[in-house]
Amino acid sequence: MKKNVILIISITVLLSLFAASGVFAQEDDITISFTWWGDTDRHEIYNSIVDMFEEEYPNIKVERPFGSWNQYWDKLATQIAGGNAPDVVGMHQRFVSDYAPRGALLDLQEYVDSGVLDLSHVPDSVKEGGVVNGNLYMVAQGVTTTGYMYNTKTFDDLGVEYPNMDWTYEEFAAKAREVQAVAEEQGREIWGVGDDSTLFMPQFAYFARSKGEEVYTNDGKLGFTQETVEEWFNYWKELRDDGVIPDMATTVEYTSAPLEQNLFTTQKTAIGTVPANQLWLYQEQFSEGKINIVRMPHFADGRPGEYIEGSYLAVTSGSDHPEAAARLISFFINDSEAQQLFMLEQGVPPTTTAQERISDKLTPVQQRIIDFVSYTLEIAEKSAYPPSGSTEVTSEFEEVAQAVGFGSMTPAEGAEEFMSSAEEILARNR
Amino acid sequence: MKKWLKENWEGYLFLTPWLIGLLVFTIIPILTSLYLSFTRYNILTTPEFIGVDNYFRMLSDKDFIQSLKVTFKFVFLSVPLRMSFALLIAMLLNRKIRGLRFYRAVYYVPSLLGGSVAISILWRQLFNREGLLNQFLSIFKIEGLNWIATPSTALYTLIILLVWQFGSSMLIFLAALKQVPEDLYDAAKIDGASKLRQFTNITLPMITPMVLFNLIMTMINAFQSFTPAFIISNGTGGPVGSTLLYSLYLYKRGFTFFEMGYASALAWILLILIAIFTAIIFWTSGKWVYYEG
Repeated sequence: MKKNVILIISITVLLSLFAASGVFAQEDDITISFTWWGDTDRHEIYNSIVDMFEEEYPNIKVERPFGSWNQYWDKLATQIAGGNAPDVVGMHQRFVSDYAPRGALLDLQEYVDSGVLDLSHVPDSVKEGGVVNGNLYMVAQGVTTTGYMYNTKTFDDLGVEYPNMDWTYEEFAAKAREVQAVAEEQGREIWGVGDDSTLFMPQFAYFARSKGEEVYTNDGKLGFTQETVEEWFNYWKELRDDGVIPDMATTVEYTSAPLEQNLFTTQKTAIGTVPANQLWLYQEQFSEGKINIVRMPHFADGRPGEYIEGSYLAVTSGSDHPEAAARLISFFINDSEAQQLFMLEQGVPPTTTAQERISDKLTPVQQRIIDFVSYTLEIAEKSAYPPSGSTEVTSEFEEVAQAVGFGSMTPAEGAEEFMSSAEEILARNR
Repeated sequence: MKKWLKENWEGYLFLTPWLIGLLVFTIIPILTSLYLSFTRYNILTTPEFIGVDNYFRMLSDKDFIQSLKVTFKFVFLSVPLRMSFALLIAMLLNRKIRGLRFYRAVYYVPSLLGGSVAISILWRQLFNREGLLNQFLSIFKIEGLNWIATPSTALYTLIILLVWQFGSSMLIFLAALKQVPEDLYDAAKIDGASKLRQFTNITLPMITPMVLFNLIMTMINAFQSFTPAFIISNGTGGPVGSTLLYSLYLYKRGFTFFEMGYASALAWILLILIAIFTAIIFWTSGKWVYYEG
């Protein structure tokens, strides 16, 4: 008898553990999650916008697991694999081919058709940017291009002329050398520019495109030649050997540094690469001087390398509440207060209504961003979206560039190694 | 059968939570990964059966070879080093000294903290260009390298991290040392044996069972090491593959490049590798492990 009582009690305890979990969920409340990458300033803006969304739709609660760019993509892949991906995700054209063709993102067309996702104020060309393989997978948050930035105060102190908006690769190298030499004379340790040789996109992309080549062709093959890669590695090797740019160990170390602590922000380099929309974030980091932006260099006898970049929002296909997710995206780009908070956070806003509303609120640095993006968008062309396997190609490029930077491979060897690896990777993923 | 069930069913009922855990978190995933290792699986779409292609691919995969080289170097350097330290400190602490408990705790704490994310981030700060080590070296006017980001030194920072966690091995050695009968040492002293002789002919042989235990545990642990390499190299195994430990490579293949099928195959090869080394150690242990009594 005693034995049976103990048994009954223990079974009850066991069962209650199972029951306790699901009892208190309510029917009407939905919880969705929204993830993005950024720095602290951006997190504040996004959180405020999402707070406003929650006020407008009180039955939808939004969790916001945000983070920095570096860990974002690994984390997203792991979450999708584990089946607990956020509903709304920040998406980028460099990575969309890892997700969209494999069914990880939701086709948003039905929500556009039903009116939940309002894209009526988005110009067609911007809408096109979210179409992959004929389906609408993502919505632009902003359109931008990449350039190089500098601090006017640094250049004034050194007594060096500012970089030209439309400089060539020769002028770029010369300017970097000039800055480093002048700084050294004055007893300061400043590198001319950061070592961008490891960046396949967008740095090398601009280089190849300016020569008339492409990064990827429309049918998913490599669009550039081995000679171009070798020239690229040589270009940066000369600067590195002469101490104009940091040694490879320093570059490697700072690869994972957050914006607030990278080489440019800590004033170890005088010129740094920047996506135009982030210009204001850098301006925030400096108490003195204006942060100006100029184009990426190009070849005097070549074409501009510019292509349209942007940052997007997408809905994962495993989402339990796709309609609420689509609603969040629609609110994000269309709500007037949200637009005015967001300003140029990811570049020129996607909707004409936003552009109108913010035009008289722009701070000087934001005006510089809009001017720059408008200027470069005119000469930019659409670039083919990277095919499957592009993440690995990018990673391989970084590794080979590092090997060249450490001297364990010559530029020629590096170029050969990279070309054969890249082709093998793309072939394997076809 | 019926009688056995009638007498034991309560026991099994109590076991069910653990059995479910074993099934769901261990057995089923292991079998699934075995199946996946014969497929091409990008996480997002259904797996596609491709037979033994994944296993053949390893033979010509230069990153796989690199990760093997790095992992072997890591294991064969860090395991002996860690065990030597553990034994050395254990012997030092095996005397009646003041504050013995304090020292034991202090040396044990690192192995509690382990190769966690927080410690790995700390390790980066210790060994980077402006880190503590270089600041220390600059007192002697030595200009240190960027240890974390230089290919020739990055792996050694990981080795040092594993060796730093010797505390758990040390405690085990300490216990073993205490079990060596005093009269053996007394007899040796009477015969005029030197300290070194006492060590090699009494201490070492008597603690060989613990050496075996520590060797196997540390070796298995070292083969599976992941977190420090991931944090210190920022997920790349860099610079230039110098910190590409096997499990980090496996992770890259599975999660960064969406090749879960290949990653599963890699996981099984690791299992086989560890099993082979463990078997070798056990097989030779008959020759050098001495069990008293």
